[in-house]
Amino acid sequence: MLTTEQLLKIALLTDTVLYPEAVAFIRQLVNEEESDPLPLSQVNGLLNVAASSKYSELYTFVVHQRDRNWPQSKADIKKFCAALERYLTNMQRRRLKDEFHLVTDGLNGSDARRESEELMAAMAYDFIQHLVAENDLLDKTTRRR
Amino acid sequence: MSNKKVSEMKIISEVNNEAENFYEDAIQLGDHAAYALKAAHRSQVTSLEGIAESTLKTSDVFDYIKKQTARFPYWREGFPEHASQGLGERLLKYLEDDLVKKRDEICKKLGIGSQTDTDKQKRRRIQLLLIRQFIRQMAAQYEFRVSLVGGRNRGS
Repeated sequence: MLTTEQLLKIALLTDTVLYPEAVAFIRQLVNEEESDPLPLSQVNGLLNVAASSKYSELYTFVVHQRDRNWPQSKADIKKFCAALERYLTNMQRRRLKDEFHLVTDGLNGSDARRESEELMAAMAYDFIQHLVAENDLLDKTTRRR
Repeated sequence: MSNKKVSEMKIISEVNNEAENFYEDAIQLGDHAAYALKAAHRSQVTSLEGIAESTLKTSDVFDYIKKQTARFPYWREGFPEHASQGLGERLLKYLEDDLVKKRDEICKKLGIGSQTDTDKQKRRRIQLLLIRQFIRQMAAQYEFRVSLVGGRNRGS
């Protein structure tokens, strides 16, 4: 279970790091890589998985969506999921410990894995929530097809 | 009195001073909200106030405005004096950009840095207090404006 200190830190990171990065993430795909915003059914599905699942299940879902054989008309979904998978992997492997200093030192293997799962679940949910809000907004203004 | 207590009092005092300065801006956004939402969509304003008062994260307020702007056309409605910007876009810009500048001014005045987690938490809290004050003022103006319009309609 995460400590109060960790939860406060996550709230801070949400406002100062995850929110601006989620906005930049979607804008990069839509404005610079000329993707469409994701269909609302896709992003809401992703948010539901993030809200109701363990982090490992969320990650499996993102990988599954990335690796699906999407028709050309839905190639943007594949691109989005590939970018999201990279973002989440980088966060779990590097940023949790080295940049965000959220990881408790000295935990044994299984406790460290459990803590990492809990931290990632909280961080990923917040990040995806911001993605969904920005995506919804862009969907109203920039849909190309 | 401890330093922490003095600092808290100073923060509240500075936020209140700043709220006096942005009152006119809140009036304008309140008028825009009344024009776009009308009395029929009062719950949009009360929900916005509710989120701002209860959340610990500024991003929750921004996400709410984005989602409502995407979902409802009246959140995208312009205002005669600001036809190019819809209500949601204009409010978001004010809260995300203008209030951040005001927060930075307060932090500078109070000597609150931006490097340690403690200072970052203080900066975030000041921004949230500014957002709450602004939305309270805006909501009050919205209520005042729609009540005038409602009164005129009943009188006619």
